[in-house]
Amino acid sequence: MKRVLRVSVSFLLVIALVGLFSHGVFVVCGADEASSSVGEADVAVRRAFNATLDAERAGANVSGLILRLNEAGGILAEAEMALGNGNSSEAFSKAVQCVGIAQSVKSEADVLKASALDGARTVFWTFLTFSVAGIVVFVVVLMLVWRWFKRGYVGKMLSMKPEVTTGEA
Amino acid sequence: MKLEDCKVVFAAVGLIGVLILASPTLGLVLHLPGGEKFSELWVLGPGHMAEDYPFNVRENGSYLVYVGVGNHMGSSTYYVVYVKFRNETEPLPNATTGAPSVLAPLYEYRVFLEDRGNSEVPLAFSFSNVSFSGNQSTVGSLTVNGVPFGVDKSVSWDAVNSGYYYELFMELWIYDPASDGFSFHNRFVSRWLNMTASVFMTGS
Repeated sequence: MKRVLRVSVSFLLVIALVGLFSHGVFVVCGADEASSSVGEADVAVRRAFNATLDAERAGANVSGLILRLNEAGGILAEAEMALGNGNSSEAFSKAVQCVGIAQSVKSEADVLKASALDGARTVFWTFLTFSVAGIVVFVVVLMLVWRWFKRGYVGKMLSMKPEVTTGEA
Repeated sequence: MKLEDCKVVFAAVGLIGVLILASPTLGLVLHLPGGEKFSELWVLGPGHMAEDYPFNVRENGSYLVYVGVGNHMGSSTYYVVYVKFRNETEPLPNATTGAPSVLAPLYEYRVFLEDRGNSEVPLAFSFSNVSFSGNQSTVGSLTVNGVPFGVDKSVSWDAVNSGYYYELFMELWIYDPASDGFSFHNRFVSRWLNMTASVFMTGS
């Protein structure tokens, strides 16, 4: 019994040491875990796309985000096909990779949206100020021109001599 | 010209001037409806042209087409292209009802496109475990872009067109942010493939 225990402890120690000194990561997962990871990746990509769409509607340039979404979408497709082919480990690792990219895209899209909204607000108030000022100046100038024109018109009418014409039968 | 007529002219000039000066701000607030919204889906041959499509295919031969998607939906759009494979008795999508084919997708592309953007992706495919028995042909496995799929499809000899005809088709699905789901976009493209036992020249 003691020998079995000693061997088991040694085996676990060896596994722990290999894990500690290896650069790779060993992932062992079942089909259920892989399936739920792929589902999470799908949701993460949708959220990232929705955030990108919001940023675009706010006026941000989203070309860079679309490129990265395509990268995430390609990995998600690979994860889904790996899951369909029964390759759970590959599906899981691809899903994790995809979630990482999607979350980073979403964060960046949120920042871009806030920045675009700030910029749009500034542009709106600048345009509104110039439009209102321009309209006020234009209307005042137009009224002055109208008064000058009216005065000239009336003066011209008053200075005219009345002419009487007689109709000849 | 009477003074009243001049007044009307001044009022018209004033109105036009006010509209011109307000137009930059109005442009930020008012959004005019854009043109027709639609998406494109196409398939091209190995030279990115509508020619030299694979037609006569055989076991272990390698074939290449390009699948393209174009976005004219007025904003960035998230598409999925499903690659499906059928024999002549299995259903295609129904363009009248807008229903997709009930066949399970083999391969999929996920494509994100900005408005007026398009993308073309390669679709390399090959067949394995092909057998012929009597007047029937069976395809056991279809490999798309290096990913193998068990298909196990059989067709009978088509006496009218002299061949064993299978169809590779691609469906376009679109993501709707409002419902947070994908729906069939009522677009699909397909290529008929004649399975042969010996080497044939490819061509449409």
